[in-house]
Amino acid sequence: MTAPVRRFVQPVYLLYICAGLCLAFISLYPTFFLFYGSIRSAPLGVAGHLTASNYVQVYSDPETYKLVVNTLIFAAGASGLSVIFALALAWITVRTNAPFRGLLELTAVIPNIMPSLLVAISWVLLLNPTNGIVNQLCLSLFGLAPFNIYGIPGLIFVESLVLSPLAYLIIAAALRGMDPSLEESAKTSGSNELGVALRITFPLIRPAVLAAATLNFVRAAESFDTPAIIALPARIELFTTKMFREAIGSFPTNHNLAATYGVGLVALVFVFVYLYRRFTAEVERFATVTGKGFRPHQIDLRGWKYFASLTALSILVLMVILPFLTLVLVSLMPFYQTLSRAALKALTLRHYVNLFQDDRIYSAFRNSLFLAIMGATVCVLFAAVISYLTVKTKVIGRGLLEALAFIPWAFPGTALAIGILWAYINFPIPIYATLWILMVAYITRYLPYGLRAVSSVIVQIHKDLEEASATCGAGLSTTLRRILFPLMRPGLVAGWIILATFFIREFSCSIFLYSPGAEPLGPLIYFYYEEGSFGAMAGVGVMTMLVSVLLVAATRGLTKGRAIA
Amino acid sequence: MTKIRIACAFLLFVFLSPNRAYPDVAGAKKEGKVTIYGSLETSTMNLIEKLFKQKYGVDIDYWWGSSTKVTDRITTEFRAGKQLFDVTLNHRPLLKIMKKEGIVGNLNSPAFKFFPAEVFDSEVGPAYRNVVIGIIYNEAHIKADQAPKSYDDLLDPKWKGKFVMADPTRHTTTTQWLASMPKIMGKEKADRYIKGLAAQRPVLVDSITPASQKILTGEVPIGFAFTKYIAIYGKEGAKLDYVKVDKMLGDGQYLGISSKPQHPNAAQLFIDFFLSEEGMKILADVGETVTRKGVYPTFKDAEKIKFTDVDELNKEGFAAKSKEYKDIFLK
Repeated sequence: MTAPVRRFVQPVYLLYICAGLCLAFISLYPTFFLFYGSIRSAPLGVAGHLTASNYVQVYSDPETYKLVVNTLIFAAGASGLSVIFALALAWITVRTNAPFRGLLELTAVIPNIMPSLLVAISWVLLLNPTNGIVNQLCLSLFGLAPFNIYGIPGLIFVESLVLSPLAYLIIAAALRGMDPSLEESAKTSGSNELGVALRITFPLIRPAVLAAATLNFVRAAESFDTPAIIALPARIELFTTKMFREAIGSFPTNHNLAATYGVGLVALVFVFVYLYRRFTAEVERFATVTGKGFRPHQIDLRGWKYFASLTALSILVLMVILPFLTLVLVSLMPFYQTLSRAALKALTLRHYVNLFQDDRIYSAFRNSLFLAIMGATVCVLFAAVISYLTVKTKVIGRGLLEALAFIPWAFPGTALAIGILWAYINFPIPIYATLWILMVAYITRYLPYGLRAVSSVIVQIHKDLEEASATCGAGLSTTLRRILFPLMRPGLVAGWIILATFFIREFSCSIFLYSPGAEPLGPLIYFYYEEGSFGAMAGVGVMTMLVSVLLVAATRGLTKGRAIA
Repeated sequence: MTKIRIACAFLLFVFLSPNRAYPDVAGAKKEGKVTIYGSLETSTMNLIEKLFKQKYGVDIDYWWGSSTKVTDRITTEFRAGKQLFDVTLNHRPLLKIMKKEGIVGNLNSPAFKFFPAEVFDSEVGPAYRNVVIGIIYNEAHIKADQAPKSYDDLLDPKWKGKFVMADPTRHTTTTQWLASMPKIMGKEKADRYIKGLAAQRPVLVDSITPASQKILTGEVPIGFAFTKYIAIYGKEGAKLDYVKVDKMLGDGQYLGISSKPQHPNAAQLFIDFFLSEEGMKILADVGETVTRKGVYPTFKDAEKIKFTDVDELNKEGFAAKSKEYKDIFLK
């Protein structure tokens, strides 16, 4: 082994050990408690014995399998549709000369910061069969009300809109980092734009598309927000609704049963991680960021460019504009009611005035901003290290790192929160009942999202660059600082934005783990919803979105100047 | 016989409760805050907190959740040796479970004498409010003369699929409420009535809040919901009313004090303030059916409501009723 290579390899192993230990701890520690809970006859802290009865109860029930099928249909539909929306939007905004694409691009990020609960509620207001605004409009124009949100198609449609922005961020980042020379070669060889898109562009961004689809599939499978609003009234039973009804929402709460369902989902998700790794095994095929210049060229759509803008705008009307306007409307109503002349006359700014007078709302904003900025920064840096080790190095057992990171991802938020609660309530460092337990929970739960965003960019960086750096005598830290970090920056920024926007509105873990005095925005919005204070909820929701937009815009502004060419 | 039992429970509770130290206001100020876990709406607690802080300079740290979630959190913390709450606002059966486990202690207050004997439970004290469930309708969509006049009227075919209620297979208060129907209409009639309701294919939602929202927006303009929404939304201009039937069922809500409060003086001060006329009036003003003598909610004829407490169900009882309603309502 030559001296430079030895110098390069040793810190990698050191990094691997440190990252592995940290990851193993945050991932396995709560998972252990959850798994242990699933094979106990009583909750932790109460005398009990080891038992398989929870598994027998869950998996001997034929209904469980029907729910799994329903869930798979729902998750596949929502994930597939979200990727179609995101792909169209990303291609138009990143690769074409469609007018207003900058504005469209910014608008596409907004729903990522829109609490999904609010999106679902907005669509119920728009498309419910009795007095949905769109149905009422159709009734007055055409004499019929054609839409009914309460069904599997409605459920898939709304969830796909909730999931699209995440897919968009991942796919757009990959499109921005593509090497245009391959496309140019194809064009020189006589291929038209469609041929280039199908034979060159799409295969090149396939890892990002698969990453987005895998992420969204699991996100939909474990989602409870949209099903709670649409599936429950429609009597559509999914895995999460069943789990909520039988384990977490039941009386008395059965944590052991919740843990058992959680372990089942881990098994299901591991199948998808395995499939995903098979899809992206030959990373070299997708390495497109080489030492050459790689500003992707813009496709001139000529007359079609207006049509492209219109297509993107139509998707954004569904994703952002209609639900956002509905939300604004609800925030201006003294109470939640049907749109009518009388309702319009009664509009008020009362809920917004209250935002600036209520100490609880102020402290929730402060707590959530802290968690978003600090948490997303720590999480994305951690994701970058893990991603680098798993994608770019040949260290033994690197696949284990990714598998570890994915374990908490497989747990629905509430079930994971139970594991974290059990794990940290008596932890030697007293983080229980503080904001820090929320940060640990957020990082544990959302690390895979950061990982996917960063990995999809790292996969595209050719190893020639690192080898060239090593050949020139640079060590790992210099290579990371001078070569990899600048090239990874689009992925890091995309990952940071995704995580910050998740953290600022997170509620499924927060609701279990927050304590009085350390309340973030997610539970506050949820409580307003549960209490029926829809105006206040929408007011806080709109303000949360505005704060998030400012956060995203500031991040993009700060990083734009430094973006790699 | 029932009245004798109630009187005995009242006397037992009042006379066997420990001698209490009257709240030490200075001590409470020194403690600085009281931590409360409860199911009372945060908007109402905000009003209580504002006045409590103004009067005594003591903060309220409030953690809101459904009664199930509140109990879950308290018991999990207790089992881990961390009793962080001082006071809880909760359901009677859950408080009883927590009292049995030594999580909540004995409650006492000079305000008890202003509560009628029939709201006292021998173990957990007086219910401070009853969450009453009635047939609520939106007057913008249903005129008073077209509205049902009794529970039975809702079984008329014209209401088929046109009223909303919480799903009794997953909403515990609704499970208890249906299971207690025999208390107001006798067993045979109640059984027929419940089957009749299910045959009407009501719109089923997760809990009573979304049911009230559907009534409020007119998406489903009539259904079973809490009567307090009439006052809450009435203040904002909504036109809701309720069907005045002879007897209505509801769920009593109680207070519990931690067996090891971290802020004992502030906890006691809060309990006394909360149960005082001043505290109860805050609740009544937002439509809550409070039980303190002479304090009534602000909606029409509220003082005439004849309230009957729902039956308690244990774990097995819930499971059995939930299965029974699943067979009736979800088939």
